[in-house]
Amino acid sequence: MATPRTPARRKEALTALLFLAPFLVAYGILLVYPFFKGLWMSLHDWELAGNFREFVGVLNYEDLWADPIFWKAVGNTLLFVVMTVPSMTLLALLLALAVNGRGRLKGILRSIFFMSSVFSVSVVTLIWSMVLNADNGLLVPLFRWFGATPINFLGNATFAMPALTVTTLWWGVGLPMALFLAALSQIPPELYEAAELDHAGRLTTLFRITLPSIRNTLLLVLVLQIVGQFQIFGQPHLMTQGGPANRTKMLVQYIYETSFRDWQVGYASAMAFALFLLMLGFAMAQLWLGRREDA
Amino acid sequence: MAAMSTGRRRRTTDLVILGLTAGFALLWLLPILWVVVMSLKPNAELMRSTAGFVPLPFTLDNYINLMKMETVPRWLLHSLVVAVVMTALVLVVSSMAGYAFARLRFPFKKTLFLLVMAGLMVPEQSIFIPLHTMISGWGLHNTHFALIMPRVAVPIGVFLMTQFFRSIPKELEEAAEIDHASRLTVFLKIMLPLSVPALTTLGLFTFIFAWNDFLWPLVSATRADMYTVTVGLASIQSNFAFSEGLGSVMASAVFASLPIMLLFLIFQRFIVAGVAMNAGK
Amino acid sequence: MRNLKTFRALALATLLATTASAGSAGAVDISLLRFFGECNTEYGTVTDISKANGECGIITVLTNKFNAENTLGAKVVTQTVEWGAYYDQLTATYSTGNIPDVAVMHASVMPNFSGRDLLTPLSGPLKELGIPSDDFVPAALKNATANGEIYALPFDLHALLFHVNMDLMKQANMANPDGSPMLPKSADELIAQGKKFKEATGKPFIASESQSAEGMMVRFFDTLMWQQGVDVVSADGKAASIDTPEGLNAAKLISAIYSEGLANPALDYPGSEQAFLNGEAGILLNGTWGVDNYDSQAKSGKAALKSYRVANVPQLFANQKVWADSHMWVIPKDENRSAEKTKAAEAFLKFLYDNNYEWSRTGHLSVRQSVLDSAAFKALPHRNEFAATATNATALPQVQNQRAVYNAMITDLNAMWLTGTEPQAALSAMQAGVERVLRRNR
Repeated sequence: MATPRTPARRKEALTALLFLAPFLVAYGILLVYPFFKGLWMSLHDWELAGNFREFVGVLNYEDLWADPIFWKAVGNTLLFVVMTVPSMTLLALLLALAVNGRGRLKGILRSIFFMSSVFSVSVVTLIWSMVLNADNGLLVPLFRWFGATPINFLGNATFAMPALTVTTLWWGVGLPMALFLAALSQIPPELYEAAELDHAGRLTTLFRITLPSIRNTLLLVLVLQIVGQFQIFGQPHLMTQGGPANRTKMLVQYIYETSFRDWQVGYASAMAFALFLLMLGFAMAQLWLGRREDA
Repeated sequence: MAAMSTGRRRRTTDLVILGLTAGFALLWLLPILWVVVMSLKPNAELMRSTAGFVPLPFTLDNYINLMKMETVPRWLLHSLVVAVVMTALVLVVSSMAGYAFARLRFPFKKTLFLLVMAGLMVPEQSIFIPLHTMISGWGLHNTHFALIMPRVAVPIGVFLMTQFFRSIPKELEEAAEIDHASRLTVFLKIMLPLSVPALTTLGLFTFIFAWNDFLWPLVSATRADMYTVTVGLASIQSNFAFSEGLGSVMASAVFASLPIMLLFLIFQRFIVAGVAMNAGK
Repeated sequence: MRNLKTFRALALATLLATTASAGSAGAVDISLLRFFGECNTEYGTVTDISKANGECGIITVLTNKFNAENTLGAKVVTQTVEWGAYYDQLTATYSTGNIPDVAVMHASVMPNFSGRDLLTPLSGPLKELGIPSDDFVPAALKNATANGEIYALPFDLHALLFHVNMDLMKQANMANPDGSPMLPKSADELIAQGKKFKEATGKPFIASESQSAEGMMVRFFDTLMWQQGVDVVSADGKAASIDTPEGLNAAKLISAIYSEGLANPALDYPGSEQAFLNGEAGILLNGTWGVDNYDSQAKSGKAALKSYRVANVPQLFANQKVWADSHMWVIPKDENRSAEKTKAAEAFLKFLYDNNYEWSRTGHLSVRQSVLDSAAFKALPHRNEFAATATNATALPQVQNQRAVYNAMITDLNAMWLTGTEPQAALSAMQAGVERVLRRNR
């Protein structure tokens, strides 16, 4: 390898700087700086409206530690992730297997299942609030048919969370399905031909060939889903307002309410930092698991 | 003989699965269909009953009123401007940075790259409060600037582009370097055309993200004439539902979803192709 | 024409990409931020106030009328925000920089804003506009005053009421000879009556918003506390008295209403109104704002509710008290507001004050003694049935963060019927939640 002359090196570094500048400026001002500013705010009693700021040290973090609603919100968020991620992954995989391959009908079906992911969250929540409404919802005639009283899903302590999960599945299954489809299309056909020669059954093929081949995608989907569903906000904010009795209050929603409803921006910043730490924990766990897999 | 009957059984099973999936797809579409039907019924009728999948009595009043009020078209326009500009900026900024990280030599490159990747760990929800305070200080809320700029520096974009540029064989540029083409020319004339698939994917996902962005526009665009579609529709869900009538709300939702639906239908093959490219890495 | 207008608006919005301002006509546009709903389809062009009904209709038409008639060339541009998000939005305008020129505000929320110097003092302007402060009923004026300064134009007093379906009450033998409903005089009697009612009619005694949004039962809880002589939050805003024997009485009663099946816990706000109008419940627990609407629905003959009456929330404990609040108009403080806009905003306030009677048609109590004494007000339907409410009305103490207190209470109180929490556990949780809010009060 030739050692480049210094002026050339310098010129290249300068070029690199120019190429990097737009990103770095935006990154520094609109991501790195706010991150540290948020940390700084979390050490204050800082109000949204008016000019009140008072340094309170770690008081906000002490409050957070003792705040049952915060822990409830963390618990709810985790519960939502646990309910949504596996079902989403499974549904996406099943759909991908079902609509994989050639044919006009399969193409249409792919489009249908993907289509619901392009709607805005407010459209999705509007649709599902209507569908699940106990008064004039889509399911009401069905209940009446059986002579039953329609269930008020969103106001029911037992059903509110599953209702959010179903809504999220309908909204979000498209992307993981597309990821699985992509992975399926890259499995060498020879593997299947070999299986066919062996007269391997459908399930055998699935478990022996298909699933092992898309293992990486499966992991990718899981990671993306965990990260994504952890940040859930629109569905509970618009559909249940965190109710009934805080059963669906999520972490991001609580941060929003504390800052923009109750004005306590400092306290909310402490929560936001806690959210960051939680996500960091996940990321580290994933990294560690990934390393172990590779080893 | 045995092989043939297995093959037939296999084909029958295939058909059954396909039929079941098609049935499931119909169920999947039912809520959308229902909403469209409701948007075509008079509000008074909906007060009585929302049941049924036939838009009778039929009316276009909900859509006509929608156009008369001008609010929803305005929100659509904001969403389009925000999504298009944000997508363009993300593509430019990410591909430039990605090229530098992938191809250029400069001091502290590894450290810098790690620092950028550390940004992947920061969820947007953990910085939206200080961002809000900052942009208040600049007096820039309720502008497109405020809706777009905080979304431009996405480490994931840089990561994707860096990975992609690294996968392009170096020989292609070396030929150009012999011609003493400048770095910029190499970037513009060789690298960018080669990375159309990656750019398409990144662009599409940025666009969909921008279109669906909710928390940030909710706190930044507080003036009704600066709402994006997502925030605007959220604002009318409970506001109108019982005074203006369900039909109007449904018509707004349908109307506001049309552009993104069209876009999806046009670009759907790219989406799957793009995903395939990235998943295949 | 219409399409052209839309097209032009689109083109305009494109041009003004970053600073799109909606201004079109009028020498002075002033922005109005309010809840009460949006009903432009029905009332968008109406200026005849006698045609308007209900909160949304009346305020919309009043605004139209002002735009049509004022001599300043002022035009009020309304932005409606849904009730639940209203204060989030109003607060946000202080940091996002589109502070409205006029905004509606609850008395219970005002201390949050006045205490942080976010409202324009109005003592001087009101005097200049010729609005005599001695015509305001004392409670209303007190609501609008902080530290000796008036910060708001009171618009109404609103309180909790019992809206009664007399046909069902008669069916349950619970009507007095004079046509008024027989109402309970103690907590036990309320439950006993409810059971009797349910037996006779097969329907729940009470309909009330019971979900996570409105907190109707928190208002009832406050009422029951005042009836026992206890303030939920102390006047200095430092202490809460929820987890008390009195609190337990109130919580047990509310819990029993649901556990005895006397109210359907699945109803949200429109659902509760619908149930009452459909004749599915004997009593609707809701505020004064519903009177006009239910009355006209009952008279129209289209609703199952035919024989509608109003009653004061009955005295179940030692004192006759009921939860009340007040809608007021404020001019949020904005250093950049021009003199013309201020003048137009003040003219709008004067106009609203002059038309206070129209607003009281909704069912709200007027804040002007002269209106309350007028024959026209007294002739409004049902007013004599809840006349006592005006004197029993009790407002929350003027302390910071009432809204956060209220929200903290909704969650844990509603948990009694939504998730089966025991009354004592609910009280402890409410006490802790409210204290956590109050700790930050200064």
